[in-house]
Amino acid sequence: MRTVRQIFAVFRKELVDGARDRRSISSLAFSAVIAPLLFGLMFTVAAERRKSADEIRLPVQGAEHAPAFVDWLTQQSGVTIVAAPTDAEQAVATHDEDVVLIIDDQFGRDMARAVPATVKLVSDVTRENARMKVARVRNLVATYSGMTGGLRLLARGVAPGVATAIRVEDVEVSTSQQRLAMQLSILPLLLVIAALTGGMQLAIDSTAGERERGSLEPLLLNPVSRQALAAGKWLAASAFGCGAVVFSMVLTVTVMRRVPWHDLGIRFRVSDTELMTLLLLILPLALFLSALVMFASTFARSFKEAQTYLGMLMLVPMLPGIVSTIYPLAGRPWLAPVPVLGQYALAADVLGGKPPHVVFYILAAASVLLCAGILVGLTARLLGREAIVFGR
Amino acid sequence: MIAVSGLRKCFGHVEAVRDVTFSASDGTVVGLLGHNGAGKTTTLRMLSGLMVPDGGHVSVDGMDVVADPIGAQRAMGLLPDSRGLYPRLTPREHIRYFGELHGMDGRAIESRSAGLLRQLGLEPLADRRVAGFSQGERTKVALARALVHQPRNIVLDEPTNGLDVMSTRAMRALIRSLKQEGCCVVFSSHIMQEVSALCDRIVVIAQGRVVAHGTADELRAQTGEADLEDAFVALSGAGREDLE
Repeated sequence: MRTVRQIFAVFRKELVDGARDRRSISSLAFSAVIAPLLFGLMFTVAAERRKSADEIRLPVQGAEHAPAFVDWLTQQSGVTIVAAPTDAEQAVATHDEDVVLIIDDQFGRDMARAVPATVKLVSDVTRENARMKVARVRNLVATYSGMTGGLRLLARGVAPGVATAIRVEDVEVSTSQQRLAMQLSILPLLLVIAALTGGMQLAIDSTAGERERGSLEPLLLNPVSRQALAAGKWLAASAFGCGAVVFSMVLTVTVMRRVPWHDLGIRFRVSDTELMTLLLLILPLALFLSALVMFASTFARSFKEAQTYLGMLMLVPMLPGIVSTIYPLAGRPWLAPVPVLGQYALAADVLGGKPPHVVFYILAAASVLLCAGILVGLTARLLGREAIVFGR
Repeated sequence: MIAVSGLRKCFGHVEAVRDVTFSASDGTVVGLLGHNGAGKTTTLRMLSGLMVPDGGHVSVDGMDVVADPIGAQRAMGLLPDSRGLYPRLTPREHIRYFGELHGMDGRAIESRSAGLLRQLGLEPLADRRVAGFSQGERTKVALARALVHQPRNIVLDEPTNGLDVMSTRAMRALIRSLKQEGCCVVFSSHIMQEVSALCDRIVVIAQGRVVAHGTADELRAQTGEADLEDAFVALSGAGREDLE
């Protein structure tokens, strides 16, 4: 009972101290907004890009050489034909136009003779934004070419199918939910970063900061066990970490509600239950990451030194993200007990619409909490070392 | 009641404290007098339970500090060498934090902190954040939080270090009043006047060992010097010769 009150005293003091620290508060705020901001931006850009491919403004040069073709293009939905600039290549190179279609002046004659007529498609392959639009135009040209070719064969009494030896049929097995998961796969990474950075400043301030100020020695003169001190500090840092995750999630949900899913061609939406599951999955991780940060910064004599160590620690949540690009983590719930990696694996399944069995969540939470407990214990032992207490 | 016997501490090959023995009974003030680096702070750190001695014995009110540091710390109020405060907290919050760590309840802390703030002249600053406090004000805050639980044994490491005349006088007054209340006070200093003005007994430390022990008069008699400062120089010098 006495210990619980002491832990609470430390917890409350660190929270008050942290709330008055501009550095701790701004790191909490930054952690909370980074995910929704990035996320909103990402989806808006994707939606815009898709929209730009659906509704295209196509500059055509030499439209007079192929009136039938241009007429057909105009009839296609979302296509508007406009006059091309005089120097098409220059216009594309300077990004004034995404794509320009140039119709050869021999187009009419070649068509009449039934030899391949030429059109030039001017584009810039390095321009990510224009890619879908260029693909759409290329597709339109190919469709017209196939149609005209088929008509010519028919006129000669040949079935148009003869000219096509192989037809590729795309069978898309991923559900829209899984396609969405691909877009959403960045969400767990962003939440994990929030969990790490949310309480980071507070964890540094209450350990390395305590040493730097010379307030650790007086603190340890109180009749309090090192474990209780470490636990109080850990809980305060965790509160900030969890706060960052919760804020981040709430803001992300707000942003998601405004995402133009329809423009993205996605029929499904992430349900609130899935987002809640994700939240419950990441929250215990915030407790682990806070313990890790606290343990690492107890070694540091000053704030600056701690930040050097923690720069390397930032890799912890990044690495599994990189791993997952080579080695997909979805469908591997048995990774659950591995801290961080387990959370990523389960999150991938949740977002993929195949939530794993509840036992895996419990396993993942138990594992990170156990690791957190060990780290808090180790921190308590460090606080007992003379080199740490007096080594300034 | 604080009792120290045969205390020893090495850092690598350096023997910082080699044989320190003294005791301070309730209602007395004992001064540890020594040059910088004589081993005063190391002795007080072992007394506080944060540093484990390589040899010897420390007890506070009969409790072994090494075996039961938490029990001993409960009975002690310590002003250590480093007085780090939390810049974003007020003096009142500092006192409350330490009171809570001592397991005191809210009302007891409040009345005690009001008393301490008044006694130390900190009332006008009580609810201001300590960032920007002067050295003297910081020392007073550190002292106030160390005394929140009304300890019977008080250990102060160079309490007047860096204080101006007014603050030094206030500190002396406080030490006298603690003595009056029947507390046992041990403090370290390298300033002669201070020690002679306050202490019932003086322990002179040089090169990590006690070279003399007694009242100011006894020390003067022992060295044959009329002036206490000369006596101190003679005694610490003796410690040095001893080493060579």
